[in-house]
Amino acid sequence: MFRGKVRRHVEAIATGLKYLVKPNRITVYYPEEAIVLSERYRGMIHYDWDKCISCGLCAMICPADAMKMYRKKGEKKARPGINYQRCIFCGYCVDICPTNALSFTRVHDVAFEKLDEMLYPPEKFTSEWRSPAEERGARRLRVVFDEERGLKHVPEQ
Amino acid sequence: MSSSVMEARLLEKEGDEEVYEVFIGPQHPASGHMRLIVRLEGDVIVGVDPDIGWVHRTMEKLAESKEALKAIPLLERMTIIDSQNVTIGYVRALEKLLGVEPPPRARYLRTLLSEINRIASHLYGMGLAGIFVNHSTMFMWCFGDREVWIQLAEELTGARLTHSYSVPGGVRRDLPQGFKEKALKAIRYMEKRLDEYHRIFFDNPQVRARYEGVGVLKPHEARRLGVVGPNLRASGVRYDARLLGDYGVYDELEFEIPVREEGDAMSRLLLRGDEIRQSMNIIRQVLDKIPEGPILAEKYLRLIPPKLREPALKEGRIKFPGIFANLKLPKGEAVARAEMGHGEIFYHVTSDGSKKPYRVRVVTPSFRNVILFRYLPPGHRFMDLPAIYGSLDYFPPEADR
Repeated sequence: MFRGKVRRHVEAIATGLKYLVKPNRITVYYPEEAIVLSERYRGMIHYDWDKCISCGLCAMICPADAMKMYRKKGEKKARPGINYQRCIFCGYCVDICPTNALSFTRVHDVAFEKLDEMLYPPEKFTSEWRSPAEERGARRLRVVFDEERGLKHVPEQ
Repeated sequence: MSSSVMEARLLEKEGDEEVYEVFIGPQHPASGHMRLIVRLEGDVIVGVDPDIGWVHRTMEKLAESKEALKAIPLLERMTIIDSQNVTIGYVRALEKLLGVEPPPRARYLRTLLSEINRIASHLYGMGLAGIFVNHSTMFMWCFGDREVWIQLAEELTGARLTHSYSVPGGVRRDLPQGFKEKALKAIRYMEKRLDEYHRIFFDNPQVRARYEGVGVLKPHEARRLGVVGPNLRASGVRYDARLLGDYGVYDELEFEIPVREEGDAMSRLLLRGDEIRQSMNIIRQVLDKIPEGPILAEKYLRLIPPKLREPALKEGRIKFPGIFANLKLPKGEAVARAEMGHGEIFYHVTSDGSKKPYRVRVVTPSFRNVILFRYLPPGHRFMDLPAIYGSLDYFPPEADR
């Protein structure tokens, strides 16, 4: 009984020591390094002005009321705009868009200085998204599954 | 509640001046926003009142104000760490109302994500059980290894936690390229890690001293109190909503429902480890057996214009048919139950024939398990309370809804 306890104490400490010598770090040093998000990642949404047929399905299905149709005075067509204060990135709008005018980008690390900046009316909605970390030259890291370490972050070629 | 079993556990007497009241919470005491009002006689607990409701968000009422499909991302936020399992019951209830069945491949994919979520949820619970007794290594390890499963879920669904993966009639994304190899690597990694968990935590005499023989829940009490999930199965009752065969492909797979007899805090922890092994066994079988075919029911698939449908299917995703924006629910009622990481979740959806459900009733596993805070700790030392709390894997936002 006593011997078994001592053995298990030693085993516990030995297991801990193993990782003291050879730690299994998964932290990524953002913004010097940035993870390349997976291919179907649901990030910020891009709007294609020319493909849109103003059907309004995106605004209808939005569960968070983030998407709204905007109509300018004198214009017949209403166009979608998004409020990123409300968006929950469920991607329903992209999935229901019948002309693929809406699409996901793999950018999610965007910061806004003012709340108003998170409002994207149709004209602004067409803007391209770029990761601020990558713009400042962060090393791009790919996530690789590994039997020994679980996840590894390796530089993208 | 006049049972002698329960009275025996409630030692508190009114007007007792020897009794101290200690308020734990509602700031984050380690696992969530709730308050425990603990009554102590010296160092011995004589009564605990779980004071819940601090994170109540009127989920059921909000679900009534939204079109049926829009409630999926909402209800997901009850248990954000287990979002597929928490919404699959709702989706099944909608499917029963709409009279649509998911195709086989979609059912396999749902099972796959359900089990990935279950593993992540158990790791979360085990990590917190570690930090409750100041074992921060276990906390860090579990949360680090949970990342592996979150990464798998992200590659399948496109989101780390809020997957919104199941929709009435099927799922939104097909298996990505090379998913099987990645999942098998994750499983082999996790199997090794579980052995290490045993060495550093479960078999560690210091941890055993805190958890063993503490907060014993007897089978007949567990049944009486309506406890669900691993907390019930650790008391020797073999009940699991997956056995009902209402969702997923659990009736086509071979797996065990782990059961332990002791009913103490340690067995509740060990049972979660057993379940992780079984979940990995299920994932292996799902990846081997998964049939080819559509991932959305034919009824909805043919509503998508072919010009739109075919390129999307090639990318392994579906487009929603326009009808999803205002899906009309036929008049009637439907119930569904599913097994989450924390236990069984129950949905009762009533429809009056409009687009929005008339009523969505949710009974969550944490809500059913919270009663244990009242009945398990009395008679124990105060420092046993964190051990009992940690072993229950209680998730306040889920109980409060």
